[in-house]
Amino acid sequence: MKKHTPVKYNFYPSDPAEVILKLGKETLLQQLKKMLLIRNFEIRAEAAYLQGKIGGFFHSYMGQEAVQTASVCAMGVEQWWSTTYRCHALALLLGATPNELLAELFGKEAGNAKGRGGSMHFFTERLLGGFGIVGGQIPIGTGAAFTINYLKSVAALKGHKNCDVSICFMGDGAVAQGAFHESLNLASLWDLPCMYVIENNTWGMGTHVDRAICVAPIAEMKAPSFGMQSYTFDGMDFFNCYAGFKHAFEEMKRSSRPVLIEVVVERFRGHSISDPALYRSKDELTSCMARDPLIIMFKNLERAGMLTEEQYHAMDKEQKDVVMAAVKFADESPWPDPVTLEEDVFAP
Amino acid sequence: MQLVEMREAIRQAIDEEMQRDPTVFVMGEEVAEYNGAYKVTKGMLEKWGEERIIDTPIAELGFAGLAVGAAMTGLRPIVEFMSFNFSFVAIDQIVSNAIKMHYMSGGRFSVPIVFRGPNGAAAQVSSQHSHCVEALYGNLPGLIILAPSNPYDAKGLLKSAIRNNNPVLFLECELSYNDKMQIPTEEYLVPIGKARVAREGKHVTLVSHSRMVQLCNLAAEELAKRGITVELIDLRSVKPLDIATIAASVKKTHRCVLVEEGHLFAGICAEVGFQIIEHCFDDLDAPLARVCQRETPMPYSKTLEKQTMPTKERIIAAIEHVLA
Repeated sequence: MKKHTPVKYNFYPSDPAEVILKLGKETLLQQLKKMLLIRNFEIRAEAAYLQGKIGGFFHSYMGQEAVQTASVCAMGVEQWWSTTYRCHALALLLGATPNELLAELFGKEAGNAKGRGGSMHFFTERLLGGFGIVGGQIPIGTGAAFTINYLKSVAALKGHKNCDVSICFMGDGAVAQGAFHESLNLASLWDLPCMYVIENNTWGMGTHVDRAICVAPIAEMKAPSFGMQSYTFDGMDFFNCYAGFKHAFEEMKRSSRPVLIEVVVERFRGHSISDPALYRSKDELTSCMARDPLIIMFKNLERAGMLTEEQYHAMDKEQKDVVMAAVKFADESPWPDPVTLEEDVFAP
Repeated sequence: MQLVEMREAIRQAIDEEMQRDPTVFVMGEEVAEYNGAYKVTKGMLEKWGEERIIDTPIAELGFAGLAVGAAMTGLRPIVEFMSFNFSFVAIDQIVSNAIKMHYMSGGRFSVPIVFRGPNGAAAQVSSQHSHCVEALYGNLPGLIILAPSNPYDAKGLLKSAIRNNNPVLFLECELSYNDKMQIPTEEYLVPIGKARVAREGKHVTLVSHSRMVQLCNLAAEELAKRGITVELIDLRSVKPLDIATIAASVKKTHRCVLVEEGHLFAGICAEVGFQIIEHCFDDLDAPLARVCQRETPMPYSKTLEKQTMPTKERIIAAIEHVLA
């Protein structure tokens, strides 16, 4: 296996103690609970997949939990959100229930998208999707930012319900797509409040980012060519992500300019469930899993006296139970009625 | 009544709908300061301002996708493609996002968007600027495809398209923008999914859409002099297809010829013809015949271009064949 050159990132400077002080115990424990929900959701869903209860593609967010949890915590649900096919976590964070999401994975009537979308296409009132084509969501997220500006600038629409920014997640692989270039050019040209977040987990399926993207760090190198501000966060560290997202969000509210963020992160699983990840050595995987975002957050909260190891395990158990109940719900839910097959092809 | 050109009929439709609904806006290459490559949006920048008449860079994937995102979040974009050939640069956004979104999201997000612009051949613009896209896109459930043949239908259908909550391809023709017609001064709509009997006749049904309807009309006039009366059906909506109107006519004439500007293989005639067989097999007194663009990319030379396209002569020959 090829040895990869380490990249010198300029991480957004932050202090966990400051974030702990600012957010306080209750909010922080809530965030940890959400991360545990995501982790348990992925573990149980993966098990159900292996039992043949779930079909199709299945991309686990395990290892990346801190990123989107911190982003929603920093900016609130009421923005426009879009992401890749690795969309389970963001849907949970934006308010979709474990029941509806597991029912969707099981292809049931009570599913988040009535059993039509599956693992790659989760939605909420604010989540424009899980998108299945690499980079396909980037123009969409840009369009949501366009709407934000349009509602502000067209006189007849003043006072219409609006939000601050559109947050568009993508993987490192998407940076090679034309949609990335065209969208960032338009967003910068038109001052669209779109936050582009590259979750760089190093692998575009089985191709290392070194073999796909011509520059590194990605955001720091690419953003200047679009006249944009860039940031790099440590995606395994909730506190760094939170501090960074909060800063970028406040900056965008002032400037109404797009920003490009790279979050350096590790996925603990293969690209999808059918990928044994043979391109990554055992040592590499072990070393990346040593920086588990859940453990990093727990250790920080433990040091701050907010949580004991016992309480952490109890919290984990509680989330596991929530997910197990959701698995049961999904399993027992009825299949979609075949008479509904042709419904909703067109909107009324 | 008012005498208007096709481009003016389209402009009026957009203008009236922009007046009616502030979420309607126009986006595309050269639509604002240049007044539109074919002057459809002439004067609109001055009237509506740069917030609602928006020039884009040459980035079809980017701006078409951006407009889909805008449609998902509450706006009603009208995206002009300078030519529908350029929609291929944006095809992933049209196919994977616009067309599938409502179904795939369990009905949560709709995509009320109109993609409009000239489709098909112009005058000697060669292979990459002459494609008819309706058969390519027609294969995909979730999309409405409109292809009016005259200014009256264009205005009424476009207004219906802008009000519709689904993605619509609105196919115009570069060679028809100057076509003039008397249309009502007062507001009207033309419903989506309703074909028009453009000419009544009893010997043969002729089915077509868009600019080819005019060619069919010329063929019908010539045949009328020889005592052959042609019932001409103008599809107006390619999809949804008004098979009821077509079938009613075929049941009356028992013979049918189909004409389209696009290619033969898996074309619109292939689909409509098959549906006629499904609905009217026992009523047919002769096999169906079709006149389409031949199976070549569009050549540049005037002589070759004429050869590959449907002509009045080829239509007449096909009709004579099914009547023989």
